[in-house]
Amino acid sequence: MTECPECAASVESHDKIVGEIFPCRECGTELEVNAVEPFGVQPAPHEAEDWGE
Amino acid sequence: MSDGFRLGLFTTIVRPEEKAILAAATARGVPVDRLDDGEQTFGLETPAGLPDVLLDRSVSHTRALYAAIAYAHYGVPVVNPPEVLELAGDKIRTSFRLSERGIPTPRTVVALSPEAAARAIEQVGYPAVLKPAVGSWGRLMAKVDDAGSAEQIVEHKSALGAPQHSIFYVQEFVRKPDRDLRVFVVGDEVVAAMYRASSDWRTNAARGATTAAAPVGPELRELALRAASAVGGGVLAVDLMEGPGGLVVHEVNPTPEFKSLAATTGVDIAGHIVEYAVGVGRR
Repeated sequence: MTECPECAASVESHDKIVGEIFPCRECGTELEVNAVEPFGVQPAPHEAEDWGE
Repeated sequence: MSDGFRLGLFTTIVRPEEKAILAAATARGVPVDRLDDGEQTFGLETPAGLPDVLLDRSVSHTRALYAAIAYAHYGVPVVNPPEVLELAGDKIRTSFRLSERGIPTPRTVVALSPEAAARAIEQVGYPAVLKPAVGSWGRLMAKVDDAGSAEQIVEHKSALGAPQHSIFYVQEFVRKPDRDLRVFVVGDEVVAAMYRASSDWRTNAARGATTAAAPVGPELRELALRAASAVGGGVLAVDLMEGPGGLVVHEVNPTPEFKSLAATTGVDIAGHIVEYAVGVGRR
């Protein structure tokens, strides 16, 4: 478990993997997993204009 | 798989799609090298330790393209190859190619200056749609209803400054039902299809369109496979609209998302992709 860097809510690792993107349950900020042992998150990269399919 | 074969998974971020691909590879015993697009460097000499095939899932079109060019240079087969990313990643080039292959596509006019853009919009007629040549998820698309809005939208687009916004890709607004079709092609097979419905004229799943599995009849199958083949083939999502004159192909997506499609149809799309990539790597 770690804290959301935006709102400090607790964030659980479950079966998340490095690089995975998910929203904080409390504030909705998109987070990116940057480590699993120990579990760590950072704000996800912002969508760029060339992002897509 | 114990013969040393390795699949390289090239990513910016891990979305549900990439997680599904990792799970599908694990389920098939395919070892995966995870490659973060923000950490790689590419020299001109071929480095050691390359994977046997690269599955290029970078969410950035620019990064995906240059990585594909580099890996192809090193002799690693890439899904999708750089030529496919280059062509299908550019809507203008895709439109020309679809037309060359006789594939029905919306009427399109390209202009290289704001002055010509006004004429291009008049040639297409109202309402028209202005789209960026590179881009997804309905981003920066504009429906142009009349000459007044045309002038304002062209002015705003010009003010964005970036070179790609100085090229104007104008397309007819196809009068379709409140839905379009997404058909997922892997190699020479259509693996799944769905309707995307929305009250918004942009029916992108990323914009919250509702989805439903679509039957794949012979006409839809043939058109989707021809469109995929027209851009070079591989793993591609072909988007079609049901226009007054029949089906038209409006996009072929070279790094497609498939979370909604897999959930809607129950098809193991990640599994199809992994098996296709392994096949490409073993050719």
